[in-house]
Amino acid sequence: MERFLQYLFDGLSIGSVYALMALGLVIIYRGTGHLNFAQGEMALFSTYVVYQMGEWGIPIGIALIIGLAVGFLIGAATEVFLVRPVAKKSAFAVFIVTLGLFQGLNWLDSAIWGDQVLPNSAVSKQQQFPTLFPNKSTDFVRILGAEWRLKYLGVLLLVLVLTAVMFLVFNKSRAGLAMRAVASNSESAKLVGIRTHQVLMVSWGLASAIGALGGVVFAGINGTVNLNLMFTVFIYGSAAATLGGFDSPGGAVLGGLMIGVIENMAAGYFPDWVGQEMKLGLAFVVIVGVLLVKPSGMFGTAKVERV
Amino acid sequence: MTLLETHDLTAGYGPITVLHGLELQVDEGEIVVILGANGAGKTTTMRAISGVIPRHGSVTFEGRSIGRASPDSIVRHGLAQVPQGRGTFPELSVEDNMKCGAYVRRDGSAAIAADVKRWFGTFPRLAERRNQRAGSLSGGEQQMLAIARALMSRPKLLLCDEPSLGLAPLITQELFAVLEHLNRDEGLSVLLVEQNANLAMHMASRVYLLETGRVVATGTGEELSADDTIRKAYLGF
Amino acid sequence: MKSLFTIKSGGPASWALRVVAAVVIGAVVLTVPTGDSYPLMNQFTTAFMLMAAAMSLNLLLGYTGQISLGHSAFFGIGAYATGVFVSRYGWSPMWTFPAAFVIAFVVGALVSLPALRIKGVYLALVTLSLALVFPQFIKWRKLTWLTGGPRGLDKAGFNFGRKNRTYEIFGHDFFGDMRGQGAIPFFYWVAFAVVVITYVVCRGVVKSRAGRALIAIRDNETAAAVMGVNVAVTKGLVFGISAGLCALPGCVSTIRTNNVVPDSALITVIGSITFLIIMVIGGAGSLWGPILGAGVYVLVVEITGDWSNEDNIPGLLRPLFSWSSTPPGTGIFAISLIVLMFVAPFGLLGLLKKWTARLVSVRPKPAGTTTIEFTSSALVAEDAST
Repeated sequence: MERFLQYLFDGLSIGSVYALMALGLVIIYRGTGHLNFAQGEMALFSTYVVYQMGEWGIPIGIALIIGLAVGFLIGAATEVFLVRPVAKKSAFAVFIVTLGLFQGLNWLDSAIWGDQVLPNSAVSKQQQFPTLFPNKSTDFVRILGAEWRLKYLGVLLLVLVLTAVMFLVFNKSRAGLAMRAVASNSESAKLVGIRTHQVLMVSWGLASAIGALGGVVFAGINGTVNLNLMFTVFIYGSAAATLGGFDSPGGAVLGGLMIGVIENMAAGYFPDWVGQEMKLGLAFVVIVGVLLVKPSGMFGTAKVERV
Repeated sequence: MTLLETHDLTAGYGPITVLHGLELQVDEGEIVVILGANGAGKTTTMRAISGVIPRHGSVTFEGRSIGRASPDSIVRHGLAQVPQGRGTFPELSVEDNMKCGAYVRRDGSAAIAADVKRWFGTFPRLAERRNQRAGSLSGGEQQMLAIARALMSRPKLLLCDEPSLGLAPLITQELFAVLEHLNRDEGLSVLLVEQNANLAMHMASRVYLLETGRVVATGTGEELSADDTIRKAYLGF
Repeated sequence: MKSLFTIKSGGPASWALRVVAAVVIGAVVLTVPTGDSYPLMNQFTTAFMLMAAAMSLNLLLGYTGQISLGHSAFFGIGAYATGVFVSRYGWSPMWTFPAAFVIAFVVGALVSLPALRIKGVYLALVTLSLALVFPQFIKWRKLTWLTGGPRGLDKAGFNFGRKNRTYEIFGHDFFGDMRGQGAIPFFYWVAFAVVVITYVVCRGVVKSRAGRALIAIRDNETAAAVMGVNVAVTKGLVFGISAGLCALPGCVSTIRTNNVVPDSALITVIGSITFLIIMVIGGAGSLWGPILGAGVYVLVVEITGDWSNEDNIPGLLRPLFSWSSTPPGTGIFAISLIVLMFVAPFGLLGLLKKWTARLVSVRPKPAGTTTIEFTSSALVAEDAST
């Protein structure tokens, strides 16, 4: 029982990170129909910025806010300068642009911060990547015999709160209504007076900021940041979004948590078959499985195609 | 008083020009109808006026120029469009669709809620389905929703693009009755594009006949019906 | 737009131009391996391999509009097929080429099954996860007996003892007199042969009836199905061929290095991205685009490889790149991809066509007398539905 709970807790914690990534992807997909291939790298850049703030002695609370702001700016700027002009041509062109951004941001990270794992005793002042939650070995809660360290539990709570906030914003606020309207029919949205350009820009900014939060939180869990940090998270996030339905924010979060749990359970109970190497194989199986059985995911809406 | 006026309105799609120097006018309290065959430029006219496509020439509303304005500021001026094909937000509920119509209003949620109630009264079938996804409504119901949504912004001028398209005759009559009632009792001005000449001409104060992006004839419904050549060539009877 | 000259498609002038082009290319290709420069030959060999891989990807993406980020897995299948068959089972290396093609073909056709129902975004994700899973799969402890796990396989190519150098192809020793010259020109020729085969196959598919079916599917799949195109079979076939062709340069890579490891760049997802970059830079949807793209890619990598040392960067570009400690190659490609989408969505080949169109335009044969030529505009100009 303890073992099960341990896997469950660990799974929910890492699943929270996937949920954040999936949430960002879904917000953009719902609003614009595009997959932001650079979502992970935007988050990574913001995460590096937070690391840098830590190096300069800025407390984590303020550093996080700055990191989120940077994330927002990157997302918004991408929409305005890179996506909008190209979206008129084709969805493929947008995909290539986000692919280029994916490469470019990662290269930029390596150019500025190098390709080593940070913090690094040779070059850094900090011992570990700053974390938002109490991190001493005595900071945990005990539930039915299994330990749940506060820094892992904190992530889950953060994601749940954020999801609730997002739900309220989307469904009860005027801004949320505007975002849903633009996602549903952008031409009509213009006709009722919604500034669709603004809405799109804010959607991308918001998604990127959420991604940044995910990156910072993940780096906090890991204790370190490196160039490859967000790539597997991106894949898992995509799997989660596929599972939950690419146009359902709630589904994305649920999907992320489920995948985190399944991954941990599988690796824990079947170490011979799954183990470290095949964890990604799980994501592959999930994606293909969902697409074969119900392509719109658990909570997504199926699209009817007109000839 | 003149509500809407266009001078030398030119618009198109990319290299193709559809409207060539269009001149039309809607006065307060009028129902003006634009007739014409497919491809005459009726929908392009609507889209040019509501600002969703680039246009040249002048468009003035209540004396103010809106030829360069963005769609959202045009709505704020008091123009609302019911697009061709309904243009509802299919994933949103009926009620949310209506609330979208009130997006530009600043007079508080109570007033907006009162208007929602009011239009539900005018279109009881919408009230029955208030929480249903708009995409699951029938064509006629979606058309009613589109009109109700446009009315939610309390417009002075309503632009309607082919509301009868794809609808059963009975429903169309119902819709036009509502428009006529609003025009008579509340002073709502309407610019209506229609292919169904017969039905539309009865309620029109004035009719414009469009062909290849130009106005080729204008007058009251009776005047145009009385002219044999026009009647046979354009109105089909 | 008026051009200086107009020539008739299929007429004597157009044939003359083609002959000239063939001669020039032939001259370049032939002189390189007879020269003394091994590094140059190596670069060409790499370029050939990338050309073939990018052409195979282009067949799928450029012509059917199906996004695949998984071609590194097919490349890897080729590399490992050669590795396993030679290293574990003692096959003669050249026989592994057709075997690899078949294996990759089957895998590709299988992958296309879910692709029947999904498009765009989802297909990209499925193929991406395929690319990610492949190296993991190779390293899986359960398969180490076959694949050599993380350490890879050794002695997976030709047996190059000093005395026993045989370049045996299907039992015949063609290169007897090259024995004295070392293996590098041999690899060059093998890679070149792969490029030629790939080109011929791609051209054959595109110009055939299946090719027109492909274009129909890409433009409007439902309509194509309704008109009698067997979408499932066509898609499956093309995916399979594309995968099979991509495996061939993989075989070449194993032969070349005489070993194969799961973490080599082209077998991981980096490979898929590289092929895609090359395809886009060269020009998607045209037969020569990937060829041009691979050439440019290898050239840029070569030139910028030394740029992590400041002194090697030409003066003008120094302020752009001197501050970074990592080679700017990836950064340059990233920026190019983005810029290309703005400036030249049809890649360099598209640009070239535009410029040469001012000089020469080809008047097509009258309607109904020729098979349909593919126009690359469709891929980028229209909205791909998801």
